[in-house]
Amino acid sequence: MTAALAIPAPVPPPASRLGRIAWQWRHNPKLELWLAWYTIVVFYNVFGIVFFVVTRTKPPPKAWWGLPRIVEWFAENRLGLLTGFGTIFFMGAFATASTALIVYSIRRMSVSPAFAWSYRLLYSLAAVPGMLLTCIALVAGAMRLDRDPRLLGLLYDMGFLSFSGTMGIFLVGSVVWAVAILLDRNGVLPKWFGYFNICNALTEVVVATCCIVKEGPFAWNGVIAFYINMVVFGIYTGVFITYLKQMIEHEEPERDYLPNRLALL
Amino acid sequence: MTESEQSSVGTSGELLLLWSLPVVSLFWIGAFLAFPGFVQPMPPGLSAQEVAAFYFDPANLPRIRYSMIVFNWFGVALIPFLMLIALQIRRMAHRTPILSYCFIGCIAGGPTLFCIADLFWLIAAFRPERDPALVQLFNDMAWITFTSQVSFLVAQSVFLAMAIYLDRQGRPVFARWVGHFNLLIAAALAPAAFAPMALEGPLAWDGVLSFWVKNGAIALWIGVMGLVVGQAILRQRRQEGAAA
Repeated sequence: MTAALAIPAPVPPPASRLGRIAWQWRHNPKLELWLAWYTIVVFYNVFGIVFFVVTRTKPPPKAWWGLPRIVEWFAENRLGLLTGFGTIFFMGAFATASTALIVYSIRRMSVSPAFAWSYRLLYSLAAVPGMLLTCIALVAGAMRLDRDPRLLGLLYDMGFLSFSGTMGIFLVGSVVWAVAILLDRNGVLPKWFGYFNICNALTEVVVATCCIVKEGPFAWNGVIAFYINMVVFGIYTGVFITYLKQMIEHEEPERDYLPNRLALL
Repeated sequence: MTESEQSSVGTSGELLLLWSLPVVSLFWIGAFLAFPGFVQPMPPGLSAQEVAAFYFDPANLPRIRYSMIVFNWFGVALIPFLMLIALQIRRMAHRTPILSYCFIGCIAGGPTLFCIADLFWLIAAFRPERDPALVQLFNDMAWITFTSQVSFLVAQSVFLAMAIYLDRQGRPVFARWVGHFNLLIAAALAPAAFAPMALEGPLAWDGVLSFWVKNGAIALWIGVMGLVVGQAILRQRRQEGAAA
């Protein structure tokens, strides 16, 4: 078993593209981490395409629309909602790779495992209120356009308000990650990114207004509750994906790895 | 405490958890047969009045309620079994715990979504005098959640398959065919994600792909994984016994 965990002697990669992929699969000592990282990249790309292009739910339609316009919106976007959210129903849970890699980053820091565990538990069900409930409500609307318009209006509200259903998870989760980064002495992630986590947490405070107002900058489609929030979240996501990549690149297998069986909890 | 004593504590009680699987499976099968909407799956093409009539038919109503209460009690009983699989992933010759983190991240999702679907069914059945359109709405939400929410099951099968393929040691925890089997199950679950696109045919929630293939795949996965996890735990205990 110990031999299986040892770093294999370097074998030169072959010249062909397929040969190089096979070489990575056989010999890359960081393969597990790279699989998780590429899963994150694929997930966020599909997530972006589904929400912004296929279903047209981002940027969101107006919170102040009347029932006839809401019914029309469901009719216009029916196929996109059903196919796009079908894709999320199929692969949405691959987002757990993101949580897993972030938890791994915290475990490598010089802080208590309580931080990693808190983060993991906070995010383990985030997809249900924050993403899947949105998709379920809007799919229920799209699948039966002859439904009573008042019920379509209810599903519309449920869909777009549920998208903010993870306010607390992102708020507390980002702070947990921030504190871990700021306390860490192993230099796993840069300190400024710790402060940026707090910035991300604050967007969840601003977005809360969408549960109260239907018009203006604080509505779910407003400049503050959606656009500024989305810009910060977009930059934050891009930055953390990049830093996780750098963390993997800078790791030295013999020195930095948490062996599977020794990483208690 | 010696090292062998410590490791035997690690597997202590695991066989009991594993044997809970066939016991709770009996409750699942019983509840499945009792729910009148499963044995002959409810067609999504029913009108609101037909859906309400189905729910409040005196022959159906108690069976709907009791079967969903039993599912609510025992649906989440899958979690200890999934945790046993997670522990076997920890025994694999991986350099990092990342794949077990990914797998554990998926564990609670499937049973939680099943629990939400179960509640939607119970809410739909609660008040016979309610507007049939509302009964139909909750029936739709229940079926959409039950049928199409396969992502946690798909992801956990794919992460498990990757973990098995990367378990590079002389005597791997699971044989490679278990990895192939998990990918096959993930593929069999995929069409159900798109069930709301069709009100009839194989893709609809009562269709061959979305109901029988998907639920058959889940049942087969639980059965096969139950056997291979049982074998792995017994082998682990023999190894620990020999080491002691």
